[in-house]
Amino acid sequence: MMRFTDIKREAGFVFGHRQIKLTLLVVFLLSVVSLWAGYAEMQEQQATIERLLEKDQVEREAVITHQSSYGMVAYYTFHLTYAPPSPLAFAAVGERDVFPWKHRIRMLALEGQIYESDTDNPELAFLGRFDFAFVTSVLLPLFIILLLYDLKAKEREARRFDLLNVTARNAHAIWTARVIVTLVPLALVTLVPFVVFGLFNGASISSILTVCAIVIGNIAIWSAIVLAIGAARRFASFSATHLASIMLGVWLVTTVIVPVTAHTVINAVVETPEGGDIVLTQREAVNSAWDKPVEDTWKAFIATHPQWADYTTFDPKRDTSFNWKWYYAFQQVGDQTASELSKGYQAATLKKDTIASYVALLSPSLLTQRLLSSAAGTDVSAMVGYENDVRAFHKALREFYYFHLFKDPEFSQESFEALPQFTPSVDAL
Amino acid sequence: MILKVAKTICADQWRYWLRTKVAATVLLLGAILTLAALVVNAFHIEEAAHAREHLQTEAEARFKAQPDKHPHRMVHYGHYVFRAPTPLSVIEPGVDTYTGNAIFLEGHRQNSAMFAQQRQSAGLTRFSSLTPSFLALVLAPLFIILIGYGSVSREREAGTLTLLLSQGTTRWQLIFGKLLALVTASSLFLLPLLLACLYVAFSSESPLVVLLFCLSYAIYFMLWATVVTACSALFEKSSVSFTMLIVIWMAACVLLPRLGSSIATNAAPSMGKLEADFKVEEKLRSLGDGHDVNDPAFKKLKEDLLAKYNVDSVDDLPVNFRGVVAQYSEGRQAKVLNEFAENRMGEELQQAQIARQFGWISPTVAVRSISTILAGTSLETHHRFLREAEALRLDFVQGLNKVHVEKLDYQLDMNRNASEEAADKAVVGADNWALLSEFDFKPEPANTRISNALVYFLQLFVWVCFTALLLKAAVRRLNP
Repeated sequence: MMRFTDIKREAGFVFGHRQIKLTLLVVFLLSVVSLWAGYAEMQEQQATIERLLEKDQVEREAVITHQSSYGMVAYYTFHLTYAPPSPLAFAAVGERDVFPWKHRIRMLALEGQIYESDTDNPELAFLGRFDFAFVTSVLLPLFIILLLYDLKAKEREARRFDLLNVTARNAHAIWTARVIVTLVPLALVTLVPFVVFGLFNGASISSILTVCAIVIGNIAIWSAIVLAIGAARRFASFSATHLASIMLGVWLVTTVIVPVTAHTVINAVVETPEGGDIVLTQREAVNSAWDKPVEDTWKAFIATHPQWADYTTFDPKRDTSFNWKWYYAFQQVGDQTASELSKGYQAATLKKDTIASYVALLSPSLLTQRLLSSAAGTDVSAMVGYENDVRAFHKALREFYYFHLFKDPEFSQESFEALPQFTPSVDAL
Repeated sequence: MILKVAKTICADQWRYWLRTKVAATVLLLGAILTLAALVVNAFHIEEAAHAREHLQTEAEARFKAQPDKHPHRMVHYGHYVFRAPTPLSVIEPGVDTYTGNAIFLEGHRQNSAMFAQQRQSAGLTRFSSLTPSFLALVLAPLFIILIGYGSVSREREAGTLTLLLSQGTTRWQLIFGKLLALVTASSLFLLPLLLACLYVAFSSESPLVVLLFCLSYAIYFMLWATVVTACSALFEKSSVSFTMLIVIWMAACVLLPRLGSSIATNAAPSMGKLEADFKVEEKLRSLGDGHDVNDPAFKKLKEDLLAKYNVDSVDDLPVNFRGVVAQYSEGRQAKVLNEFAENRMGEELQQAQIARQFGWISPTVAVRSISTILAGTSLETHHRFLREAEALRLDFVQGLNKVHVEKLDYQLDMNRNASEEAADKAVVGADNWALLSEFDFKPEPANTRISNALVYFLQLFVWVCFTALLLKAAVRRLNP
């Protein structure tokens, strides 16, 4: 049974140690700096989106007023699509630095546009982000090892071990109390800055609590690992630093070796279409359409759009031999030709992610990192979700223009009030 | 004499390592990991090199195999270029997995590189990667610490230090022996790396670059061995030296590189490509649309041309006026595009250089800069790829425009939309597509890469001086 007096005495003891106080201060600073860096970056991304939205609007309106046919407007107007950072994205930047979160899309074949990436500086992405998820998943375990590895050994070396065990009412309670008074402040210095940033950034209470639970879970797992190694009978004769080496070994295997091995195996096992093939296929299909009989394009187009079967003829007075309907139809056919490959590519991305989620069960650090980015809406599935939003938007755009190209109403500026607008899907949080 | 005693101490340390399981395990694990990383990476790079070479040849073949067409259609048909991996990327893949490796080149647009491999990694390799350079720069120091943190303090704790010093071993001999032992142990990790380098040197890379590359890694390992030995001597207890070294490792290898990256992102935010695109468009709108001969922006061009050939209307010109307009506006547009592209690359480089300044406070950052620059997997080389791709783009687009000007009759061209037969006449022969030149990307010449890396060698040199002083202090203060 642990008593309050035990806790109080141990707290006094723990905080009497300069090394522990210093460690807590360092963890606190790391937590604050990582949160600030993530916060500043997400603010910048948000500001970028707002600037782009404004320019996008102006640019599109200018094109619409400048042109006088639906075909031309469709060719020249771009539409901004974007995935805004969630209120928690500052804590886990996740995949936002390798997956695109903004695209400008137009009516041409989508497969030629969607793999364009306006991602950040590759050298900085290569060095890695210093975000809260990194601090808690990779660094925190190391601090836990440093704080707890010589828990008992320190007392043995100071020749107080037996004394403590003998004088304590319950020998077990002392160590439990000591572990608790070390870990609770550790969790506090990590999480308090996060909660402050989270509230300030308008994250929901439940999402903040989720993140806290993930971090506390990670601390609990690592403490359990460290204490189990420390208490193992097999290692009873080992010195404290030997024990710490073993703990670091566990960190190394779970944090580094498990993920990289899994990565190598997954890449070998999951078949992924070459990205280059998708765009090459799409381009060949689109460009060869110019040289093929017009009927070939119409056949493939009507197969997926039977509602326009009766509208494929065109008015030679107005359109001569070039015709926008046919032009956008072969853009559509280009996408259709590459669609198999493209779906395979996305499926492979998701499949790799699913396998990685099982691998994460073997690696507390990976698990923490994945859970945090999923809580922050910055994981692979969120980024693929954005890609699908763009696809859905492009489809709506096509429906709008197909109507105006095939039904061929008089050109009017007002009709563009019905032009589809991209709205980012609201985070489930 | 000094060497002989040092050798004995070194041998003694090795006996200890082989006896204790932890040290032997660490050594074995490190050697296996480095080898595995090299083998996996070598296969991967080999595969990527073949795949990209194949795609490149295919893209060129497809371009040249196009039938007779209107030359401007070929401008829009475009071309793909792929970047082949450099020889040393077997050891240091650098930014290659973060940048795309393929660019689509077409008229009127500069596209970004596509298909970064990192997107396919499911977040598994965000902290670590199975690349020899990650193992050498981040993990090897940890291994060196794990086997070396107690090398001197152990003697002190066991009381053998007094014995050794009283028997006439000098402090230098003792420390030097311990250092020698740690250096030989760490060379176990370095050896596979050096062999791989040797292989690369005999293939296609400049021997001087490979030599400097090896040297920087060797110095890096020496640095850590020295710091570990010095700490082990400076601190009373093994546990203190252990804790200190782990903290130093965390700071230098894990924390500071990332901190540098985050600070650089926020200190010098760069305008994204989309945002720059808007600015480009704004500027281009004033230059006129190259598809439209009647655009007022081309009035002067028309007048000049009429005056030059001394004719009254564009119909009488001996050249195709549409082609002239296309050629002229492509050239002007390329200038604007390049101005913005250069700006963007400048900003990126500036960010990278801020992050690299952290090399003054972390040797890992210094060696990483050297290693990526020398291997040709740095931001600079990626920019070179972008520039060469752009040069090729402009070259074939303007080549096609020249064909448009000289080989396509203006009347046929203007009538191309009248009927399908007319469209079939407004073409040029497929033999013109041979103007596409081959794309064979090579990193900067050895001298350029070496001079780019000079300042980071300076960083490394400062670290060498610093650790030498640390070692000297450790020797001076070594007390039983």
